[in-house]
Amino acid sequence: MSPMKLCVPGDRLCSTDDCMPGTGVYLRHGYIYSSLAGYVLRKNEGEELPVISVVRETEAQLLPDVGAIVTCKVTSINPRFAKVHILYVGSTPLKDRFRGTIRKEDVRATEKDRVETYKSFRPGDIVLAKVISLGDVQSNYLLTTAENELGVVVAHSEAGAQMVPISWCEMQCPRTHAKEFRKVARVQPEYLQA
Amino acid sequence: MPTDTKRVRGPEVSQSPSLFLCKTAAKKSTASNDARVDGRQRGQVDVRSVFVRCGLISQAKGSAYIEAGNTKLICCVYGPRETERKDETDMKSGRLITDMRFAPFSCRERGSWIQGSDEKDLSLMLLESLRPGVCLQKYPRSQIEVNVMVLENDGAVLAHAVTCASMALADAGIEMYDLVLGCSIRQEGATYLIDPTFLEENGCNLASGSRENLGSLTVAFLPSLNQISGLQSDGEMGEDTLTGGVRTCIEGCFKLYPVIQQALSKAVRRKAPPSES
Amino acid sequence: MKHLLINLVSRGTEMNFVGFRSDVRTLDEPTWLTKNTMAAGFKTAEPLEYHRSFLKENCRPDGRELGEFRTTTLNIGSISTADGSALVKIGNTTVMCGIKGELANPPVDAPNKGYIVPNVDLPPLCSSRFRPGPPGERAQAASQFIADVIESSAVIQKEDLCIVKGKLCWVLYCDIMCLDFDGNLLDACLIALLAALKNARLPEVTVNKETEAPEVNLESRRSLNIHKHPVGASFIVFDDSIMIVDPTAEEESLSTATITVVTDEEERLCALHKPGGTSLSGEKLQNCISRATTRHKEVRKLIDKVIQSAKTPK
Repeated sequence: MSPMKLCVPGDRLCSTDDCMPGTGVYLRHGYIYSSLAGYVLRKNEGEELPVISVVRETEAQLLPDVGAIVTCKVTSINPRFAKVHILYVGSTPLKDRFRGTIRKEDVRATEKDRVETYKSFRPGDIVLAKVISLGDVQSNYLLTTAENELGVVVAHSEAGAQMVPISWCEMQCPRTHAKEFRKVARVQPEYLQA
Repeated sequence: MPTDTKRVRGPEVSQSPSLFLCKTAAKKSTASNDARVDGRQRGQVDVRSVFVRCGLISQAKGSAYIEAGNTKLICCVYGPRETERKDETDMKSGRLITDMRFAPFSCRERGSWIQGSDEKDLSLMLLESLRPGVCLQKYPRSQIEVNVMVLENDGAVLAHAVTCASMALADAGIEMYDLVLGCSIRQEGATYLIDPTFLEENGCNLASGSRENLGSLTVAFLPSLNQISGLQSDGEMGEDTLTGGVRTCIEGCFKLYPVIQQALSKAVRRKAPPSES
Repeated sequence: MKHLLINLVSRGTEMNFVGFRSDVRTLDEPTWLTKNTMAAGFKTAEPLEYHRSFLKENCRPDGRELGEFRTTTLNIGSISTADGSALVKIGNTTVMCGIKGELANPPVDAPNKGYIVPNVDLPPLCSSRFRPGPPGERAQAASQFIADVIESSAVIQKEDLCIVKGKLCWVLYCDIMCLDFDGNLLDACLIALLAALKNARLPEVTVNKETEAPEVNLESRRSLNIHKHPVGASFIVFDDSIMIVDPTAEEESLSTATITVVTDEEERLCALHKPGGTSLSGEKLQNCISRATTRHKEVRKLIDKVIQSAKTPK
């Protein structure tokens, strides 16, 4: 395998006649330039032109974006919403923590008016959620768990043991066998093979 | 000056020993016209050779160290992260924040821990020089912090700070339109000194003669886009001298360019290549 | 949708078996992450558990044993604008100390003494946890600690800094700056300070008899008289019981107590710093002190070696 070509920001990679711009690049006067220090990657994806991207060993600066699945840790709850720290975007860890909010009405898809945040999350829970909005100037990222496969994935009971889910809305402590309410994420079998 | 209760304090007044130098110690600079103290030639694009390294600071997202002669700088980049103050959040583009400081032992006279106005000025000039190079619209709601620490000041600190900061940004994986390189000159009449040392910058061994066209110039330059992003000049210079000076600085930047490119590539290579996915 | 996977279904069936050993947690628990990000994910989401799982095996996430220091390196005299300087790295933690001497009137209450003014700075550059502005608690505490060590160990006798009794003395500004903060700040600061003091060379000062003004001769410089060599060793207590030496920043943030023991070359205790935290048995403390004395020998050897190699021309 030939060593991959390296580039730094501002390097002119090729003309737009030769390639389509991918990630880590920008267009200027009909040419594609690199915007990152990284490896140049050309990929044929069945299109007429190959896609040219610049990639780094660590995923370039990912920020939570609308539609992204994020892993977060619940920091506080009140009757109207739960506050979380976003730890991951997809499978990429974030180096700096970003805060997000899961509003009461975004916890689940059905019976929205009967949701109680205390029966859905507890501080310290690890939750899978989806970004629905970047929020406005005043608020944080808005997240939702209103899908079957979204919700609490790891939770600890009052006794401190990691609980196991027993239904979509309950988890049980293996030590005390006490049941606690959570909005539990369901794992679909087709994802287990992946 | 307000008393500083958060630091260990010394006596109220203390003076630098350099104020009491024996008279005999004051040396006359040899009146040779072209040679500079460090052996470089006046009026030639003879920048000091630089040593650069990326990714030295484990805690930062990206970092760079630059050493040009005795001038030593370190720069760390943190972020993008959430803006600290809600009212400064910009939904469309990210904020770039710069902070440039001199270590107390970095200058001939001991500096204070408290940031002086010159450090604030330099921070602002650094910000203005870097901003056109960074794709800030890619980072909505976030801030990117650039911290520069001057460990030893031997002239042309702003120019090297610009270069160092743009390397640290690239090392942090922040998307940029181009690298930003900095270069300074000191104009002395008809001749100039590129990348001046601290003594040359402050005119300590000024060749006696005309006071015309005496000044300093720092240029921040985007080498691939061929654009100037920052220009700072003081002193008195004629129009021709100034444009000539800018051209000289750009030439100096191009001498630096391959070194910086190489250092960045080296930093990328040191990390494992990306997985095929 | 390609996201993190959770194998929760099969877990439920094993509940009864897991039940009675749930206080014992193993590394393979976070099945909620795909394999390649598993370790990283566990680390971010459950740092305490992550560290416990290593300590159970008597090792640490970076591969060290509990009583092992990180590689310590030293570089002296690299800053020509300072009268003395040193750069110390303990693992990632990087600290630079620059010493500058200035002239002042001796203190009124001690006319035959000079001043030593140590300050530790933690600029926002060294870690994302520090903000710009005046020094925070951490930096203030470190400055005070260094000042106390200088005072109690008498590294330098302040009488040596006096030039003319009651008239003129040296002020040694020891500015210590952290460039990379990854734990064990105090040990690094002490080594940096000691090495910089050993590296420092002050110009000769004479007082003109007629004008009574000091005259400085930069050509003739002499080094300081170092009386004692205080070296520190820091420990943290993890989960109220396990002692770990030379903690990283992450280990420090998870610890329940920190201890710094400073000893000199005669194996005497110069300072012991334990700001609160869990209580400690006398036996454990004794272990810390004996570890500190062996550390002292190692560091002393390092400093001597570096100073020796700086003297011999390359």
